[in-house]
Amino acid sequence: MTAPPAAGPPTGTDRTGSAPGPTRPRTRRRVDRAGPALVLPFALLFAVFLLWPLLAGLWTSFTDRSLTRTESDFVGLANWAELAGDPAVRQSLWTTLLFTLITTPPLVLIALAMAVLTQRAAGIGWVLRFSFFAPFLLPVAVVSLIWVWIYQPGFGMVNGLLASVGIGEVNWLGDEGTVLTAIGAATVWWTVGFNYLLYLAALQGIPAQVYEAASLDGAGAWHRFTRITVPLLDRTTALVVLLQMVASLKLFDQAYLMTAGSGGPDHAARPIIGYIFDTGFTGLRIGYASAVSYLFFAVIIAVSLIQFRLFTRKEGAA
Amino acid sequence: MRVHSPVPSPPAGPGRRAFLAGGLAAAGLALAGCAPAATAEAGRTRLRQWNLFTGGDGARMVAMHERYAAEHPEVDLRPTTYLWGNPYYTKFAMGAAGGRSFDIGTLHLSRLRGLGAGTLIDPVPRDLLAEHGITERTVQPNLWQKATVDGELYAIPFDTHLVVTYYDREVCAQAGVLDAGGELAATRGADELLDLLAEVKAVTGRYGIVMDTTGAWRQFWSLYRQLGGELTLDGELGIDDDKALQSLDFLRRVSEEGLAPPASDAPGTPANFQNGIAGLMLAGNWELPTFQDAGMDFGMRPFPDVFGAELGQGDSHAFVLPHRRDRDDEAVRAAVGYAAWMLKNSITWAGGGHTPAYLPVAESEEYAALEPQAGYRDAARDVQLDPEAWFSGSAGRLTAEANSVMAGVHNGSATPEQALRGFKAAAQKLIDTPAPI
Amino acid sequence: MTAIAQAPRSGTARPAPPAPGPGRRRRPRITPLGAAATVSGLVLALLWLLPLAWAVLTSVKPEAETTAVPLRWLPVEPTVEAYRQVIARGDIQQWLINSTVISSLVTLLTLVCCALAAYAFSRTAFPGRTPLLALLVAGILVPPQVLIVPLFDQMTLLGLVDTHLGVALPQVVAPVMVFILKRFFDQIPHDYLEAAQLDGAGHLRVLFGIVLPMSGPILAAVGIFTFVQSWNNFLWPFVATTDPSLMTVPVGLGTVQGAYGIQYAQQMAAAVLGAAPLIAVFLAFQRQIVRGVTDAGLK
Repeated sequence: MTAPPAAGPPTGTDRTGSAPGPTRPRTRRRVDRAGPALVLPFALLFAVFLLWPLLAGLWTSFTDRSLTRTESDFVGLANWAELAGDPAVRQSLWTTLLFTLITTPPLVLIALAMAVLTQRAAGIGWVLRFSFFAPFLLPVAVVSLIWVWIYQPGFGMVNGLLASVGIGEVNWLGDEGTVLTAIGAATVWWTVGFNYLLYLAALQGIPAQVYEAASLDGAGAWHRFTRITVPLLDRTTALVVLLQMVASLKLFDQAYLMTAGSGGPDHAARPIIGYIFDTGFTGLRIGYASAVSYLFFAVIIAVSLIQFRLFTRKEGAA
Repeated sequence: MRVHSPVPSPPAGPGRRAFLAGGLAAAGLALAGCAPAATAEAGRTRLRQWNLFTGGDGARMVAMHERYAAEHPEVDLRPTTYLWGNPYYTKFAMGAAGGRSFDIGTLHLSRLRGLGAGTLIDPVPRDLLAEHGITERTVQPNLWQKATVDGELYAIPFDTHLVVTYYDREVCAQAGVLDAGGELAATRGADELLDLLAEVKAVTGRYGIVMDTTGAWRQFWSLYRQLGGELTLDGELGIDDDKALQSLDFLRRVSEEGLAPPASDAPGTPANFQNGIAGLMLAGNWELPTFQDAGMDFGMRPFPDVFGAELGQGDSHAFVLPHRRDRDDEAVRAAVGYAAWMLKNSITWAGGGHTPAYLPVAESEEYAALEPQAGYRDAARDVQLDPEAWFSGSAGRLTAEANSVMAGVHNGSATPEQALRGFKAAAQKLIDTPAPI
Repeated sequence: MTAIAQAPRSGTARPAPPAPGPGRRRRPRITPLGAAATVSGLVLALLWLLPLAWAVLTSVKPEAETTAVPLRWLPVEPTVEAYRQVIARGDIQQWLINSTVISSLVTLLTLVCCALAAYAFSRTAFPGRTPLLALLVAGILVPPQVLIVPLFDQMTLLGLVDTHLGVALPQVVAPVMVFILKRFFDQIPHDYLEAAQLDGAGHLRVLFGIVLPMSGPILAAVGIFTFVQSWNNFLWPFVATTDPSLMTVPVGLGTVQGAYGIQYAQQMAAAVLGAAPLIAVFLAFQRQIVRGVTDAGLK
């Protein structure tokens, strides 16, 4: 199951407004028996595949449920107490946060640079759109295969290029100090295309007159970029940063695949979801893994709330 | 874990001849042993086999599967290889929990308890196995015993693999440590061994011996068992501190005295042996094809006697039947028949260094003729299996913890006392972790 | 996939609307600046294509050439042997079929279930409507990753591990899609629908006869987005399938090993084959996909 796309704000300015006629305020209509029937299919799936596991997971976190047994016992807060003192939880949580911190800035800045270049470059728009966005369409396993191959000590592309300029070989994925950065670089290559599209759409919404007026005033290109483009894009930037941070916090797929499931040397590239996977499925401890899942849930909610706060304050000030 | 070489070529020299001889023997055995019951079924039986073999072992398994498939047109054999270690065992547990994804899988015998014998793993019907002549009397007794949990048989042992000594004949001849027959002279006790290593070192100019310092558990457990040490992991940690320290101190000594490198990882160790920076190597018998393919002149013998006996740590690859959601006698019958065929044809498998668990093969002339397997084949009888716990065994958590703390003894970052403390703390923590089994 | 995340319900956030404005049609004059942008853009594009090029070039090398040191870009003796080997094994075809089946199923079910629910929330009133909507919206906040452990446990209970349905159904639960569609339906003038209803048309006829035909672009956006998401989804399909004959492309490529060890040309050939369909579709429908992803992403 993958993250659903961004939930946008319920505002009136979105493009769905292209439907003819004015929007009418919701009116209370008479009670309609068709409503529940129409909602039923989705509500049923929602209940079975979201609510049930969500509640079951909470309950399971208070039991010693295991993958190898059918019965399980209530153990109270034992899992939660263990979690509080588990250094692997702290390490994996830190790995997740560190990954978020090191990948978010390049994923935002490079996307912006790509969008601006695409906007300004003449005649090669589709080439750039394809080049920048195509990696996003690759399945994660393909991305991992390619990058593990690129990082290969001995005969990989990166080390080959380094060797040709006289720099010694680095075991990118085999060294505790570089493994997370190496995965981060592959991630930037893979997913920057999505942010790029959001920026591109936003840039196309800036009327040309704004720039023309600035040009007449004698503003230079850099000036126009920092004083006009960037401020006009700040809402998009806020959205991109927000989406990106939540996405980076969900690191698992490429970290798992690029370290062959090991989490890297000394687990230096095992994110919190990796730890959930390891305890639940490799370690067979469904109960404990459920507790760790809820910790992760709490982190996501907390980060979202903080961002929501910052976001609304900024909006209010604008 | 990554294998850099492309397809391993079939072994040269005696290996290839053995291969052919094995093939002929296998064909004969198979003709005799092919169960008519399985062929009586109409249509083909699907048999989904899971394994964790890549590299040389993978190639041998493919060769065996090709022959099996040719001899069993009624079985639709579908093997799948997953990445060795945790990725494999994770898929194994999840597939068995789902109860419908595979019919037979390979497993390290040391992981049998940890993966839920009786819950995720179904018992092997002994009567079915006996129809193929596989019984308690035809399988290596120590393995059969390990495969039996609470009186039920849960695994069909396929081989024994263990840590052994490899030696470079050229280097050892120069050092004058070969006996009259051109084999490495047996040593008794730590001092004799260290003297021998010093002589070898004088020839190589670098080291006497290499071993995987990031996988020191194998060496530790071999030495500790030579001292007669016991390790109990049930409730309270039971360990003999003196014997453990003695074992760790030996690891410290070989590295500190410059007889072994302070750091050498799993892929680096055979590479170091091959490029000649040491004349001896302690490693698993499965590295054998690497040097055979490279055309090295080398020999093998059991783990050296350091503390009174030539005992080496090891494990066994076995076949197990995963738990099934729905009963399927036909699939179980096919799976057992397949495992029996593999055991009877394990002379091919032995080419990769593993000692067959099936006694008629292990005691056959073909196997006795295999070189350098002959140098260590008896060691399998006394293989030192890992201690019993749900978290022990190959690619298990205890091994990982031990490897992580004991590497420091080799590279000098930890004293034996510190390493022992670290190991005991880690082991106690695992003992205190609620068992998922 | 990590890129597309769910945003918290940020009530007042307004992404800049990418409305087709006059800026779009502006012909850039050929200025030094424009030329510099073109050149830098091309350089960056080449850099971005480099890994793909490396993968494709590796896939047409003989296995022995892949590990040559020093590194050589072009194959000396180009060959399609690696592709032949991979195709002969048959896995990748099976996985492509599985991915197609599962992604289509997910997309279809998502469109139908979400459209029905969105219509009900937008156009009907029933007791419990508001709390139910609030519950669904709250569901947007639940990262699917939180659910993998309990969901797998539940699937073993339901006997859905290693079934296509078990892989597909949890992916249909995307409350955010209900929300996106509902907001669109909200803006269809009420008069339109009332007229039809007065004519005696039932809800289903209104939905399928009037509402959906008016919603082409948004349905396309939701559909394209869902399909791409599902096609590239890794974690849940990875957890829910262990039988290789049921795996999707990302899961199969990521877990099943060649028994001979690592053969780079074959790995890259498999990667190219696994990536090709979506890239081909993208080349054919670039504009629609860019719009679909942007629309669903921004909403």
